[in-house]
Amino acid sequence: MSTSSNTNLKELFLNGIVKENTIFKLALSLCPSIAVTNSLKNGIYMGLAVMFVQVMVNITISLMRKIIQAKVRLPIFMLVISGWVTVTQLLMAAFVPDVYAKVGLYIALIVAFASILARAEMFASKNSILPSMADGLGMGIGFLFALTTISFFRELVGKGSLTVPTGLASQHVFTFINTKPLLIMILPAGGFLAVGILMAFFNWINARYAAKAAHGSH
Amino acid sequence: MTGKDIVKVTLNLVIVYLIGGFILAFVYANASPRVFRNNEEAEKKALKELVPDADANEKHDWTIHDKHAKYFIMKKGGDTIGYVIQSFGKGYSSYINTFIATDKDFVVQKINILGHGETPGLGDEIELDYFKDRLKGKDIDHLKVLKTETTEYVEAISGATISSRAVTEDAVKNGVAFLIKTVKEGGNTDVNQQQH
Repeated sequence: MSTSSNTNLKELFLNGIVKENTIFKLALSLCPSIAVTNSLKNGIYMGLAVMFVQVMVNITISLMRKIIQAKVRLPIFMLVISGWVTVTQLLMAAFVPDVYAKVGLYIALIVAFASILARAEMFASKNSILPSMADGLGMGIGFLFALTTISFFRELVGKGSLTVPTGLASQHVFTFINTKPLLIMILPAGGFLAVGILMAFFNWINARYAAKAAHGSH
Repeated sequence: MTGKDIVKVTLNLVIVYLIGGFILAFVYANASPRVFRNNEEAEKKALKELVPDADANEKHDWTIHDKHAKYFIMKKGGDTIGYVIQSFGKGYSSYINTFIATDKDFVVQKINILGHGETPGLGDEIELDYFKDRLKGKDIDHLKVLKTETTEYVEAISGATISSRAVTEDAVKNGVAFLIKTVKEGGNTDVNQQQH
């Protein structure tokens, strides 16, 4: 991880989406990614909530990095993370109660996300605010991208439908087949299968891309 | 670690946690009245949907499976036209939170599933209208799940008999039985009664 002050913000941003994608590359936070991704809508809402918390936590830790004593940094990181999760929960319950009723249970899970604590420790606590923001946004979008792909795949194959959020609390269900072609894909076991298949696919594309780039430069 | 270090670290932690606590308290104080109002509105909307004719209701409490639940005596122009009772059924992987509307003779008119954690794709079909409609018009003697085709009783969802039973024979039947016992026979409508 480069921590020099002139690090390219765009590179930092892309790092979280491709090179260090939380789920497909680092294989972190797999539990929620399996628990919530049985419909496209749930995956998208969860991804957005994680993205918000990741960016806010990175900004807060980066602002506080000079006053945090190294010996107690972990309890302080935990306070910042759980604080932002609680704030997100309260704001959602107050302003988008319909969404909260559906995903509220999973929002509390964000407190235990390895990926968020890892970014706070490895990046935000050592970098200034702009790079931390770019890193958080990249990691968050990478996570949103992963959850969206997994839930898209699982709902389509498992239920033959796609539930697309059309607003904060409204949704539209596109039904393609009425028979649930592969029911196992929306059950917990299917979560593992979906993550495995997509992880392999993602890495295959990455490897091909890297090979091509290496070939071109020689 | 010297004494000075200990003081420094302790102060650091205490100050950060105090500030964090104040921020959370501030957000909570501003958000919680809204949350409360949202819940009240959601309840009102749910009741309106279940018994559209009612213009007033009387709210009471009861408990089932050690869970706190509510029931409402629905009135129109001062006369009782029906009842709405919240009830829980022990399903395959969760307690199923159900709202049941009955007419004044305790015949089920409509049910609504508010929350559950049943298996997606199988048990979660209890949410769908085709299953909920199967309970319509059933009195307490006909709240029974059969695996065969039936209209007299309640036909199970194929592949989800446990969830179908939990709704019909646990949540709805116990709720209706409680209504009959307290409202019809007891007359004492304001006691918390334990049901298992």
